[in-house]
Amino acid sequence: MKKTGPKNARLLDAALLRWMNDLAGHGILVTDAELKIRAWNRWLEEHSELSAQEVLGRNLLEVYSELEKRRLDRHYTWVLEGQTRILSQRLHGHLLPLPTDGSLSGFSEMQQTARISPLIAEDGQVIGTLTVIEDVTERVAREAELQAQVDARTRSLNGEKAAREEAEEANRLKDEFLATVSHELRTPMTAILGWSNMLLTGRLDQEGYARGLETIHRNAQAQNQLISDLLDISRIISGKLRLDLRMVDLLSVIEGAVEATRPAAEAKGIRLLTALDRRAGPINGDADRLQQVVWNLLTNAIKFTPADGEILVKLEGVASRVEITVQDSGIGISPEFLPHVFDRFRQADPGTNRIHGGMGLGLSIVRQLVELHGGTVRAESEGEGKGTTFTVSLPFVTLHEETRRGKRPAASVAQLELDCPPSLPGLRVLVVDDEADTRDMLRAVLEHCQVEVLTAGSAPEAMEALIHSRPDVLISDLGMPGEDGYALISKVRKLPAESGGRIPAAALTAYVRAEDRVKVLRAGFQLHVPKPIEPAELVAVVANLAGRIEA
Amino acid sequence: MELTDRQRDAISELINIAFARTGSALSELTGHRVMLNAPEVSVHPTTELPAALSKFIPGEIASIHQVFGGPVAGDAFLLLNHDGAVHLTDLLTEGSAPPSGRLDESSREVLTEVGNILLNACLGMFGNLLDVRVSFSVPRLHLETLDELLASLIAGDNEPQYALVVYTAFQIRDSSVRGFLVMVLSVTSLDRLIQEVEAWEERQERS
Repeated sequence: MKKTGPKNARLLDAALLRWMNDLAGHGILVTDAELKIRAWNRWLEEHSELSAQEVLGRNLLEVYSELEKRRLDRHYTWVLEGQTRILSQRLHGHLLPLPTDGSLSGFSEMQQTARISPLIAEDGQVIGTLTVIEDVTERVAREAELQAQVDARTRSLNGEKAAREEAEEANRLKDEFLATVSHELRTPMTAILGWSNMLLTGRLDQEGYARGLETIHRNAQAQNQLISDLLDISRIISGKLRLDLRMVDLLSVIEGAVEATRPAAEAKGIRLLTALDRRAGPINGDADRLQQVVWNLLTNAIKFTPADGEILVKLEGVASRVEITVQDSGIGISPEFLPHVFDRFRQADPGTNRIHGGMGLGLSIVRQLVELHGGTVRAESEGEGKGTTFTVSLPFVTLHEETRRGKRPAASVAQLELDCPPSLPGLRVLVVDDEADTRDMLRAVLEHCQVEVLTAGSAPEAMEALIHSRPDVLISDLGMPGEDGYALISKVRKLPAESGGRIPAAALTAYVRAEDRVKVLRAGFQLHVPKPIEPAELVAVVANLAGRIEA
Repeated sequence: MELTDRQRDAISELINIAFARTGSALSELTGHRVMLNAPEVSVHPTTELPAALSKFIPGEIASIHQVFGGPVAGDAFLLLNHDGAVHLTDLLTEGSAPPSGRLDESSREVLTEVGNILLNACLGMFGNLLDVRVSFSVPRLHLETLDELLASLIAGDNEPQYALVVYTAFQIRDSSVRGFLVMVLSVTSLDRLIQEVEAWEERQERS
């Protein structure tokens, strides 16, 4: 028979309390409206190492002072205003710091989700709070594990996909390359095979025999060139091409290339002219590779210039750069093709390809080699039939050779293998810098090349030295206290020529933007040299300036 | 029942005040700057809710549901579409958990906590305005289709019900997650709320 009525209700309340206290699988914590702990169930006793006896009647925020530190006490304030709060594990980690053994989950503190609710009397007053704490440590560890598995699978899928696409692209390029290569190798081979067959039959007359041999020779040479171009391209692509950097006299480089190609030009009735500024250079580079650049540009020009045409090779210094120009009166380049002229395997159209042969590797090699030197190459043409101008622009000296050759050990000035240009010994250089260390460094490098160095620590000192000692060349810092390098050069340029007003001058500066350079050159300096300056560069700068001294 | 422009503006303003507090609470909690705004407020009979919530594409939605009681009683929901819910959790827990791309149990708890904070802020604001104590149930998160959710809302009640619908956006860093805040009220509760909002508006204008 079932029990009913108020007595039964009291029994139920008691049973509920007992269950809550002894059997619940969650932490259950009850406080009154002052947050004094009124219930602390067995689960909490077991997990907190605090017995109910120890905590009952004490303020929760006093037992766990970290609640205030972590600003979790506010949640109890809100609950006492009637709100219910949930504290998620992911945003809070835990409500109460409860130790856990951690061997399975990797957590040293129990991960918890907590729900805090107000306890409300019949009249609507909040008379206490109820906190239910759930241990979610294992669940969180399992989720993390699952997530890691999903991530790993996604990663490996993405990785496979990327690798497959890359392989497909590489394969496509390789197929294209092989098709081009075999076509290009076969073209001269056809001539070689055909003529050698005819030679073997022995039925050719003297003239035919000579023509056959000549054709075979020419085609074998073409094929030979093709093969070395291919090897270069492959070295450049795989990053195996190394520059042998040293001070290079561009004059002899260009003259060498011009002499090598002159017979081919003359055979075609093309005039090959040069206009070389002997004061330009030297630069820091690989002489053989630079000669290859000029040679390729010349061969290209000869190929595309008709008989009675003209090719002009120029060398000139432009600010802190050296420019080599190869200008022809050939077939020109259409504006649409200009941007692609340096691409590999590109020629203007298949028709042209058939007339002129070749794979379009030469110009691609030119660009790669010039870029390895820190320079740029550009092509200009007024259009088809109007000739083409190729301009190679190289930095006066390549500053960052160590990026290609590995960091060099720091060398003292005495150990430096500086190529001192012959124009330096006996030269008088005025060095202006407010930092004594920089002045000393510049002095040491220049004196190594038997330059006579005068120094000044400020613009007024420099003016005085300039007027009294009449140096040949001026090297000045820009940023100096008081009058700066700009003020100095503008005063210098106002001097009459006989008092040193036209002395060649370079500005040393850490301002390296294009607009800074323009400002420097406008102010009256001949050269703008970015800091830090290396000894070889300094020597080259001074040699360049020395070449500008007016007699 | 339709809101006048004036009523709509007043409710928007009140909700924006509540949202500002929620935003700063969430910012503090997550360590990320969280901003909330309420671009649109409207009132609809529950039977017309499907049209009002048509910005949701079909599919599963996540709803955080709290029942509130007292002199003003009803149901409050924060509704997010499934992807928005995942995105919001990832944004809020960035730095403390890797992006999940899914709603695991821990993500659902985060959503529940965020929804709870938001709903409490709004209902608390209305409670203060009406000078009544609003009590809340424990928040629950459901994943279901919009139709299922609406069916459970409309069924069972004889008295016509109205829903105050707030289109909201959580702005976290450069991302924004949009969703709806829906408060379903009886006509009497809603009338009372609107009266109090108007009175508040008048007080604002006088002061």
